[in-house]
Amino acid sequence: MASSVLVPSVADGLPDFSSEAYKSAYSRINAIVIEGEQEAHDNYISLGSLIPTQVEELAQLARMELKHMKGFQACGKNLGVEADMAFAKTFFAPLHNNFKQALAANQVVTCLVIQALMIEAFAIAAYHIYIPVADPFARKITEGVVKDEYTHLNYGQEWLKANFEASRSEIEQANRINLPIIRRMLEQVANDAAELHMEKESLIEDFLIAYQEALMEIGFSPRDLARMSAAALVS
Amino acid sequence: MFGLIGHSSSFSEARLKARDLGFEDLADGELDIWCSAPPQLLETFEVTSNTGKTIQGTYIDSCFVPEMLSRFKTATRKVQNAMELAQKRGINITALGGFTSIIFENFNLAKFQQIRSTLLQWERFTTGNTHTAWVICRQVEQNAPLMGIDLAKARVAVVGATGDIGSAVCRWLSRRSGVADLLLVARQQQRLNDLRTELGGGEVLSLEEALPEADVVVWVASLPQTLTIDSASLRKPCLMIDGGYPKNLDGKVNSPHVNVLKGGIVEFARDIGWQMMEMAEMANPRRQLFACFAEAMLLEFEDWHTNFSWGRNNITLEAMEQIGAASIRHGFSVLGLEAASISPLPIAA
Repeated sequence: MASSVLVPSVADGLPDFSSEAYKSAYSRINAIVIEGEQEAHDNYISLGSLIPTQVEELAQLARMELKHMKGFQACGKNLGVEADMAFAKTFFAPLHNNFKQALAANQVVTCLVIQALMIEAFAIAAYHIYIPVADPFARKITEGVVKDEYTHLNYGQEWLKANFEASRSEIEQANRINLPIIRRMLEQVANDAAELHMEKESLIEDFLIAYQEALMEIGFSPRDLARMSAAALVS
Repeated sequence: MFGLIGHSSSFSEARLKARDLGFEDLADGELDIWCSAPPQLLETFEVTSNTGKTIQGTYIDSCFVPEMLSRFKTATRKVQNAMELAQKRGINITALGGFTSIIFENFNLAKFQQIRSTLLQWERFTTGNTHTAWVICRQVEQNAPLMGIDLAKARVAVVGATGDIGSAVCRWLSRRSGVADLLLVARQQQRLNDLRTELGGGEVLSLEEALPEADVVVWVASLPQTLTIDSASLRKPCLMIDGGYPKNLDGKVNSPHVNVLKGGIVEFARDIGWQMMEMAEMANPRRQLFACFAEAMLLEFEDWHTNFSWGRNNITLEAMEQIGAASIRHGFSVLGLEAASISPLPIAA
């Protein structure tokens, strides 16, 4: 093993925020983020109908998501980028459909897994990786958003933890069905993310770290985590 | 609770381990899947000291494999993420095993303290190098005489002399073991000069020059796979302590008068209830372990919750004595040569 591999080369600098390639990728990524926050808002309101005792709390989470959405809209405007919302709607469709189905079937656990665990973990990973390579305006906005997302992940985690035994098999099933969708979403966004200097490897890893930590808090064993995560790693 | 951060010694070993644990999908996956894998908390177990104290430990697999060494960002993330996991689990003191401490040092990870929402507290980690250095020195002191080598007359080569472990070994061998001649072998001339100044002695030689001269060779450097050793040119007898990671000297040396001893390995007084050492090819996996891991156990036994071994070139003789005393007190002994493997002493010419 040559010694030189142990001496790292200089890390990447920031991307060129004004290049056409960057702005094209940004139009899709920005749209994904805006759409994600909008759907998160809608999903938390919907969850309120399934957990009436939590209506106020969930409405508060929903309001935060709307605030995030407005922040990200400003980020796009700041760079002179028009968000490709049609792309984003298509991007979220499979996951969104699964949420709607679960909602219609009163499956609170599945809804929480999709929104409060998976989508929040996805967002946390994406925002963490975005922050160091963002333009200064977007960086400030995203730093503020990330803090909130931890609160949301925590919300889902606490509810499922309190109802662990009863929820366990539904969590596992929701994981089995939806994690591959998350994986495909990450694949789909990989090239555009790379344009923004965000690496696919880091995105998957960071997502799994946040997701696994939530599952661990909820009550799953380390063995369970590795087993449940495999669906996100293996295509 | 103490922690151990480790990794498989190769990608193929990692796959075997995954298959053993029942993760077929991961076992079949390519390297890039492992590059995306987060750290895994694999086992929690108990250890009871000779003093009667029982502590709990956790093994975290960083999912790093040496094949990732050329991917700087990947290797970095594996180490950082494993450290973050250890801290988030509230583990008091965690050893950075295998390559993780080398990556931390060489890639300057001390510069990156904020990992996502966690500010890493360095006091929660140790490289384990102080105990490793002490163990290697004790292995020299205990096993050289068994082969008829008198340290007071011996020439001892330290390959990797300027590294963290190497420099500590040099300090101890020159000031505590009474070694006659120290042969210093390393790549960086400036560091070698500094070491010689500090020791007040020692001869700087290249590896090729040092090997035929040395009665004892302590290897504490990463070796190129292509290295060949001309066994016939080595001294008779010659004791080699393979403190490198991974251990690969066995296949390179073939002579009845040369004994290779796995360096930096200790044996505990009783069985430890873990599975992980099976993979490390320890002769007695329930009791044998790397000294760096044992250091985390000792720090937990003693409630010395601090980064006892940290940085490069900071290991003092006092620290080695301190950890050594704890090592003995709690029931560790250093790995020695098997009686059967020691050839009869050559007849003096």
